[in-house]
Amino acid sequence: MHIVACIKQVPDTAQVKIDPETKTLIRTGVESICNPYDLVAVEAAVQLAEKYSGKVTVITMGPPQAESALRDCLALGAQQAILLSDRAFAGADTLATSYTLAQAINKINDADPVSLVLCGKQAIDGDTAQVGPGIATRLGYNQFTYVAEVIGLDPASNTITVRREIEGGSEVIEGKLPAVLTAELNLAAPRYASLPELVRSLRQEIKVWGARDVAALPEQVGLKGSPTMVREIFVPPARGGGQVFDTNEDKGNAVAGFLDTFFGKEQRLLEELLAKDGHAQE
Amino acid sequence: MPKNSRGREIAEVIPDKCIGCQLCLAACPVDAIVMDKGVAKIDPEKCTGCGKCVDVCPVNSILFEKVRKKKKPVVAAGPVPVSEYGGVAVFIEIHQDKGAEVAWELVGKARELAEKLGTPVLGFLFGSNVEPVAREAIAYGCDTVYVMDNPLLQTYLPKVYGKALAEMCQQVKPEILLLGATPLGRDLASVVATVLGTGLTADCTGLDIDAQERLLLMTRPTFGGNIMATILCRNYRPQMSTVRPRVMRLPKKDLSRQGEIKPVAFVPPQDELPRIIEFIPRAAEIGGVDITRAPVLVVVGKGACNPQHMPMFEELAHLMGGAVACSRPVVESGLLPYVRQVGQTGRTVAPKIYIGVGVSGAVQHLVGMQGSEKIIAINTDRNAPMVQIADYALIGDYLKIVPELIKGFEARATGVKGAGA
Repeated sequence: MHIVACIKQVPDTAQVKIDPETKTLIRTGVESICNPYDLVAVEAAVQLAEKYSGKVTVITMGPPQAESALRDCLALGAQQAILLSDRAFAGADTLATSYTLAQAINKINDADPVSLVLCGKQAIDGDTAQVGPGIATRLGYNQFTYVAEVIGLDPASNTITVRREIEGGSEVIEGKLPAVLTAELNLAAPRYASLPELVRSLRQEIKVWGARDVAALPEQVGLKGSPTMVREIFVPPARGGGQVFDTNEDKGNAVAGFLDTFFGKEQRLLEELLAKDGHAQE
Repeated sequence: MPKNSRGREIAEVIPDKCIGCQLCLAACPVDAIVMDKGVAKIDPEKCTGCGKCVDVCPVNSILFEKVRKKKKPVVAAGPVPVSEYGGVAVFIEIHQDKGAEVAWELVGKARELAEKLGTPVLGFLFGSNVEPVAREAIAYGCDTVYVMDNPLLQTYLPKVYGKALAEMCQQVKPEILLLGATPLGRDLASVVATVLGTGLTADCTGLDIDAQERLLLMTRPTFGGNIMATILCRNYRPQMSTVRPRVMRLPKKDLSRQGEIKPVAFVPPQDELPRIIEFIPRAAEIGGVDITRAPVLVVVGKGACNPQHMPMFEELAHLMGGAVACSRPVVESGLLPYVRQVGQTGRTVAPKIYIGVGVSGAVQHLVGMQGSEKIIAINTDRNAPMVQIADYALIGDYLKIVPELIKGFEARATGVKGAGA
């Protein structure tokens, strides 16, 4: 069984800070990491491959530096890594990205048929959750998003059963392979790479494919293939400027002071809340 | 047709025709083609007969006759005649046989956008026996509700709904299509945008119209919520956007509003479809608490992650008609389950009152609660990011503050109730 995992290298948004004076982003020193949801997807792919004696190919679209994210995935136990890198891919939105990845999967599938494609449910920089379903739609595969558990996989009947997180609960669903799965955080816990795997991941050759290699049409990749465009970027207006009640400075009266202010200022809000009390569970 | 030793039908280069452009080398998935004296040469043992080289050869120099399944491209190519499109459409998601609240919030927003454009608000509704929902859609502000009513649409499957909504768009041609950013809405929006080859912007927090250019301005947080981007889709229609629940205001329902309900034919897809085996309601898993719906949240952070103090937080939450939620470290400690986690990798909440106890306010947490109406921070650190963004900050030991709050709320709440009645 051949599994393809699609990953994305993202800036570590946890390290991003706003300069309190200028209210702008401090970008310097922000590391690039493999999107955490994608690591879960790769781990799940490796576990499935181990169970069903298959193999895992990891792909990503990005600049040459994205290679390091692929190496992280090789260390987790993926057998092969391919970097889709081409100046023509730059500026891609989710539509162009899913096109490029689908083209690559088509090529991979021609050489070694693919049963399963795994993606993280979303990337932490864009949070769109659009690329996984986009790939599935382009390939004509079944799609199972927000997968929290792979319950069963039957290579003989070519069927997979998964549990998905959806509104109000979870759903157990069964469908034919090939399929695209997008991973919830609880689908798998990425392992710590063993030393031999780490060494292998650093030594292994990573193939680089450009637009021509995946037979991508120039008008469907990168900026040209992206219907959406960014008109403006701005830092959100800071909330802040609220009242501070310090119990250390003002012994005893701070909480009472807060309550007085709160009940005075937020009368409407509190009335609304209390009026709704009776049917708040609706 | 030549075959290799494994019996595979393979491709063959006609050397006289080959111009040595090497496109086939790039296209070959198995590296079976090499350049030999300026012309391409296919290694018959490596060739898998996929025919990729034939597709890219600009001079038809490759012989290949095997009948191949030609996949039809699913994406419509090229820009569309924008002026043929009109109306602001809302996908009416159904949740437990009722219209989902987020759909009505979007209808409210759609009315605002449609008035700026001078165009009607359209409801796109799918399901089985959904006429009551269609009438509700009109009461909330739809002018026309297009309905595909079919037993196959009773439950959501991406291939079924994707085809249905894409075909609805192709027939009705709305200029804007809005969907709730629910698990279903996000899943479906991406399928439809891919089929139609149009632009989709996820999780918008602001929608407006550029009247001059007649464009939808879609504003969303990006880069982990650190910056906002305004995005537009100039040359493709519909301009698609998803919006999270409780971001837009719920409009008033007017049962006397008039509107039209139009049935649209549904043609089921031919594919073998997945089968839903079971639905497990989340309420059963977590004792009936849905933190995204609670009007008040008492959110426990790393600084208050102590099992002994949980009853106190529960009491405060209960007193205010709310629930207890938490930040990520608290889930990692095992004190509360994942479904209670607020933030980027947890749930997005927008309660009327958010009370953070010992929550420092990492960016990932803030993006999941910035929509809260009033924020109260209880923290020992005056400089914590949560204190910076809070409307009210109480600095000090939560063990002293929270009991005083409980007492104070108890005493004062009765007064408010009396005044409100």
